[in-house]
Amino acid sequence: MITGRAVTTKSNLKAYWVTAGLLVPGLLLSSAVYAGPIRHEQHFKVTAHPVITIHNPSGLITVKAWTKAEVMVISMPATTEVEVDAEQMGNRVDVSTRALSESVAPGDMKADFQINVPEDSELQIHNDAGAVNVSNVLGDMNVETVAAGVDLADTSGYLTVKTVGGSFQCSRCAGRIEVSSITGSFRLIDLKSTHVWAQTSTGNILFNGEFLPNGTYSLKNYSGTIEVRFSPGDSFDMSATSLKGKVNNEAKLTPSTHEHHFVPRWGNALFGTFNQGRAKVELTSFDGTINILKRD
Amino acid sequence: MASDDCKRFLNQLESWTEGERPANAGAHLRSCVRCQSVVADLSTIQAEGRTWGAQEAEPPEHLWSLLRAQLEEEGLIHATEADGKAEVVAAKQGWFGGFFAHIPRPVLAGAYLSALVAVCVALSGPLSKPTNEAQWLEGTEVATSPLSAQLNSFEQDPITSSRDLNPAVTASLHENLAVVDNYIALCKKSVQEEPQNEIARDYLYGAYQQKADLLAQLHERGENVQ
Repeated sequence: MITGRAVTTKSNLKAYWVTAGLLVPGLLLSSAVYAGPIRHEQHFKVTAHPVITIHNPSGLITVKAWTKAEVMVISMPATTEVEVDAEQMGNRVDVSTRALSESVAPGDMKADFQINVPEDSELQIHNDAGAVNVSNVLGDMNVETVAAGVDLADTSGYLTVKTVGGSFQCSRCAGRIEVSSITGSFRLIDLKSTHVWAQTSTGNILFNGEFLPNGTYSLKNYSGTIEVRFSPGDSFDMSATSLKGKVNNEAKLTPSTHEHHFVPRWGNALFGTFNQGRAKVELTSFDGTINILKRD
Repeated sequence: MASDDCKRFLNQLESWTEGERPANAGAHLRSCVRCQSVVADLSTIQAEGRTWGAQEAEPPEHLWSLLRAQLEEEGLIHATEADGKAEVVAAKQGWFGGFFAHIPRPVLAGAYLSALVAVCVALSGPLSKPTNEAQWLEGTEVATSPLSAQLNSFEQDPITSSRDLNPAVTASLHENLAVVDNYIALCKKSVQEEPQNEIARDYLYGAYQQKADLLAQLHERGENVQ
């Protein structure tokens, strides 16, 4: 039994060595042949209010604020034929994606980014497809996409977002917000913004935030639903018009005392004041439904 | 519908923007809200254009030519030379060039489309004077027909030039273009049914603006990928 086991062990050892001899070079070879996404990390020292521009055809862009006075750019191009350039010009950091050869397929022109910036940074982001996520950045921001969705959280400053078909979500955003799209839907959640201008053609718009005193809130679409949630303590002047759709209202509005509304002869319209009417709310749709509902 | 005085003023817009102030034009402008709006819009476009980025790519030459041809056809600008190259030089020397020379061409392309929409809105009809439906309808058609034709002519080229774009982006742009075309058709129908409906007209002009923006994006991207 013991001898037999010893023979068996020697035989197994030989087999392991043979296997290892085949596998190790094979693994080395395959790792040399495989050239997947390359992670590249760069750091740029900046001072107050830096400007970061990102120009990317497609991919996931994630930007987060941190407490360091530097910008960290981690890029992951989709292929080795695509390169990310990140360079600093004074207090501005420009990040862009470019093709290294003319043979790059349009669909391969993409890169993912994870970028950390000081919280007072100004951002200018252009990303046609994929997604853009930004959180905790308090500087001004301009985001333009075609199909990419845009998701902002805990941001401030003057935010301008323009998409063609991408959706937009803003959670706990402050400052001034201007967003436009054609088919993208908007979700404006827990906002603390004094100025909101949102316009989409066929997308839905949800506003569930505070109507701040002296704030102006203009939401407009062609079709789709505009839904506004209000609290008993909110104070606003409401103007809601849907040319061919319905206007459903749960707010007890009183005739407006602040201004004379031009009452259109067309469509379904509703005007009035809620509490003192400190904010101005304008909701307009062509054939969509407008819902003015109590917040849960 | 635009009055004869309005048309005369718009014909003098070229010299007006150069700084000339003919007495009759000034008198008309003081009393005409629509022409004031056109002048204000052009001034805004000029001011905005100065603040926009200077690193924009050049638009396709044909887009430039189409816009210029359309503006000439509309009588808003006048060609000073018949020859194409000479025309560009002349434009740079004339009010057209002086007014806009420092603004990048894509910015101008967008600005012209905006200007056309603004002018169309201004010419579409008096907002305060009661008039019959036929006049309203005529005003809207006069305002939108050239714009529609121009946008349709722009639309022909991007379909070929954008073939090298990311397929997802191209698909999204074309899907949205179809959505806007449908939106324009529905707004037109609504305007035809209720010619005095100012909300429907606003949506129609808004839809044209969106189409202009989309086509400008397609042109820009077509240019960039080549």
